[in-house]
Amino acid sequence: MCGIVGYIGRREAAPLIVEGLKKLEYRGYDSFGVATLENGIHLAKYQGRISEKAGTASQLKGKIGIGHTRWATHGVPNDTNAHPHTDCTGTVAVVHNGIIENYAELKRDLQSRGHTFRSETDTEVIVHLIEDEHIQKKDLLASVQAVIPRLKGSFAILVIAAGEEKIIAARYASPLVIGIGDGEFFAASDMTPVIEHTERAIFLEDGDIVSLSKKKMEIFHNGKPVSRQVELIDWSLEDVKKGGFAHYMLKEIYEQPQAFYNTIRSVSRETLPAMVREAQTVTVVACGSSYHSGFIFKYLLEASCGIPVRLEFASEFKYYTPPISGLVIGITQSGETADTLTALKAAKASGCKTLAITNVLGSSVTRLADITLYMRAGPEISVAATKSFIAQLAVLMQIANSLADTPHDDMLLQAHKAIEVVLLMDLADAVSVCKDAQSIFYVGRGPFYAVSLEGALKMKEISYIHAEGYAAGELKHGPFALLSPETPVIALCMPGETYGVMVSNIKEMKARGAPVIAVGAEGDRELPDIADIFIAVPKSLPLVQILTSLVVEQLLAYHTAVALGRDVDKPRNLAKSVTVE
Amino acid sequence: MQAVILAAGEGKRVRPLTRNRPKAMIPVANRPIIEYVIDALLKNGIRDIIVVVGYRKEQVTRFLNGLDVPIEVVVQNKQLGTAHALQCAESKIQGDFLVLPGDNYIDPQSIGRIKDIPSAILVKEHPNPSNFGVVLLNNSLVTDIIEKPEHAPSFMVSTGIYSLRKSFFSSVRGNDITDAIPALIAAGEQIRAVPADDWQDAIFAWDLLKMNRRLLKNLPMARQGTASRQTIIQGPVSIGKGTTIGPNTVITGPVVIGNDCTIGPNCCIMPNTSIGSRVTIEPFTLLGDTIIMDDTSVGSHSRIVSAVVGERCVLADHTSVCTAPGLMDIEGCTIKSEFGAIIGDNVVSSPFSVYQNSLIGNNVTIENQEHISSRNIPDDAMVI
Repeated sequence: MCGIVGYIGRREAAPLIVEGLKKLEYRGYDSFGVATLENGIHLAKYQGRISEKAGTASQLKGKIGIGHTRWATHGVPNDTNAHPHTDCTGTVAVVHNGIIENYAELKRDLQSRGHTFRSETDTEVIVHLIEDEHIQKKDLLASVQAVIPRLKGSFAILVIAAGEEKIIAARYASPLVIGIGDGEFFAASDMTPVIEHTERAIFLEDGDIVSLSKKKMEIFHNGKPVSRQVELIDWSLEDVKKGGFAHYMLKEIYEQPQAFYNTIRSVSRETLPAMVREAQTVTVVACGSSYHSGFIFKYLLEASCGIPVRLEFASEFKYYTPPISGLVIGITQSGETADTLTALKAAKASGCKTLAITNVLGSSVTRLADITLYMRAGPEISVAATKSFIAQLAVLMQIANSLADTPHDDMLLQAHKAIEVVLLMDLADAVSVCKDAQSIFYVGRGPFYAVSLEGALKMKEISYIHAEGYAAGELKHGPFALLSPETPVIALCMPGETYGVMVSNIKEMKARGAPVIAVGAEGDRELPDIADIFIAVPKSLPLVQILTSLVVEQLLAYHTAVALGRDVDKPRNLAKSVTVE
Repeated sequence: MQAVILAAGEGKRVRPLTRNRPKAMIPVANRPIIEYVIDALLKNGIRDIIVVVGYRKEQVTRFLNGLDVPIEVVVQNKQLGTAHALQCAESKIQGDFLVLPGDNYIDPQSIGRIKDIPSAILVKEHPNPSNFGVVLLNNSLVTDIIEKPEHAPSFMVSTGIYSLRKSFFSSVRGNDITDAIPALIAAGEQIRAVPADDWQDAIFAWDLLKMNRRLLKNLPMARQGTASRQTIIQGPVSIGKGTTIGPNTVITGPVVIGNDCTIGPNCCIMPNTSIGSRVTIEPFTLLGDTIIMDDTSVGSHSRIVSAVVGERCVLADHTSVCTAPGLMDIEGCTIKSEFGAIIGDNVVSSPFSVYQNSLIGNNVTIENQEHISSRNIPDDAMVI
């Protein structure tokens, strides 16, 4: 997914486009670019976030411009691959959202006719095709009209050319709207960049080609002029992006089955890098939620493969003696977490192999680490990590599975089903207990201890209720003194080797008067009797139960925060990615 | 032009399929019913679409999010009726607008016929009018609507698709749109009845099979995935990305198969079958006239005909589903029915189970070679 914006009118185009691109960041944010028109084309494009490098881009001169924000799925994000793309002569510039399916053959053809390609993108064929037509026809609209029928796939494009005071827009199977202002026009992937300037919009149909000049707009379909209805839009910005969900976090929680499945499919035994397959020892460095996913990984890998795993907070890593051999895995959603970057640098300096697990193609960590594995979660907006966490686990579980003697391929490919079942559950009872609490304890054993830590972190982050995760056995060594009827305990009690001792732990906590919310497997006969509230997740193998109990904790934290009226997506004092040490 | 799609109601008569999704989200020919409604609007150039959600709203919203067009979502917290649902969207409506049920199929031509008439209702003759609002006419003007009458005075029924003026809201009486129509007529408004071409409603779960047959006819052909060279594919067949079809499998269209499925070898997929994504069909199994939803697996040597199978089911080998007539108790009424089986989500059934004319609830476990005939097994039950 990418986002595009165009502007033509009486104001300076570049600042408007940069502001618009920021609003489209939810569609992608790994690189961006702007091209404006004034005595020729001015171009600025960069890898990285718009918020960081916008300054130079917004100083481009001209009252006509186009811009693009990219979320690469194949082809690395770098300055060259960023849009807009220009032709050989630098007189035509294009931004594009979508995929040109027949670009390989078009590219061969163009190269044989002497065109030089600078980027690896499919988009660049469009600009060279237009260049050819433009030399003959000397008219941008006619050129674009001639090129469009040759493109297969999906596209929304905006084109400008030196010497012509207009923007040509075309769409097929990718979204594009035209915003109509007073003496100005906008074109964008959706209404978000447009809405603060005008409420009047036209949603283009597949196959429409539009010519926008300062004075007028003309729409063509199959070469004939057509008129399209102008619609009045009264949505608020936030509504559009959240697509009907009350919060990004809820939207992202519901995207988890897909994120997990996509990620599991993207990593396989065959494609696993040799340095991972041959690792004798593994060190994981990470912060926050990523640290917890590393913690779960430690349990899984040590149990299934006998490979020792050392786990460190990235921020503390430098105070330890770094490992001198083996594999170091850095986990960071954004790929920009400063502490994790520093830790990986230290590991590299002492001669370790480094592997990064990240969600953002081309982020800093991908350039630092020897090899990168990606989580296929898509952009995550909410500060509290949900789908990126599940996707991290998918990568890590697939690594552990690929190295194990008895693999569980089928189960991992089916795990998203269990997550889907959890999304259908009603947690109202548990929420009503949690929302009035001052402190909540999360307890579990084995990998569920790590799950408890993550559950407590989610609760802290968004509901501002004090919450701690403990290994159930550790509770008696101190924290037990804190238990009272005002401190609910969330106990993860899944079938398996920890079950018996967890049940007796729950009984002990009950005896101290703490209300117990037990998360267990469906069909459990004991837990409904001993716990105050019993939440049943589908019965399955421990690997899947780790995922399902996590999603229960996310939903519990979310609904508790909503019940308390918290700002779920932007919790106080927190930032999405921590880029300082 | 604006359009409001009502997708907040559960659809109780289609249980058990509506426990985990509203009726509008039930996949027919592999697309939720509501997607056909949205498509029909888009084909008429109507892009300002508001969807009222309520029951299982997250499921609907997540789906709408994945669409290319932006769609505005409005929440109805309590499902009190169609007029109440519409009132939830009142503040967003600027002028004349269309109202459509999200759980009925409608063809784009019919919408084209009604969209420019400011006060109108799409009507259609139906052999069983007593399940609908029966419309009384005088020269194509509506004189009255009677909701679900015991003895229907006419076969002309309301499709639930209206073209209304903004002023409609001041005539709302009671909780349903049909209650407001007589008041509107009494106030002097002329409401035109416009005939619909193709409108499909599934009143009971087994009616989905008929809707599936109908909608598979419009199937766009798209073959991705990999089929063995020994596979025989005839007629319109659509196969999704990542699906593999084993050797000696025979597929006779119209058939649609989703993404990442594993089918065969030696399977037989007969006409009017819709198979969702990530479905496994083991060898030597025959499917026909059936809807199989995502993530389900069907064991080898099975024969499944005239069935709707929910998501995440595991039907073991030698499962047999065959059509039989019978009587079904639905929401207190006894209904004559003829179908194989309607199976909810997460059903696990052991080898050699036989189903005829039965409804199987969600999360049901069937053990020991049961023969289930003309039964309605409730959710979460275990049949031993």
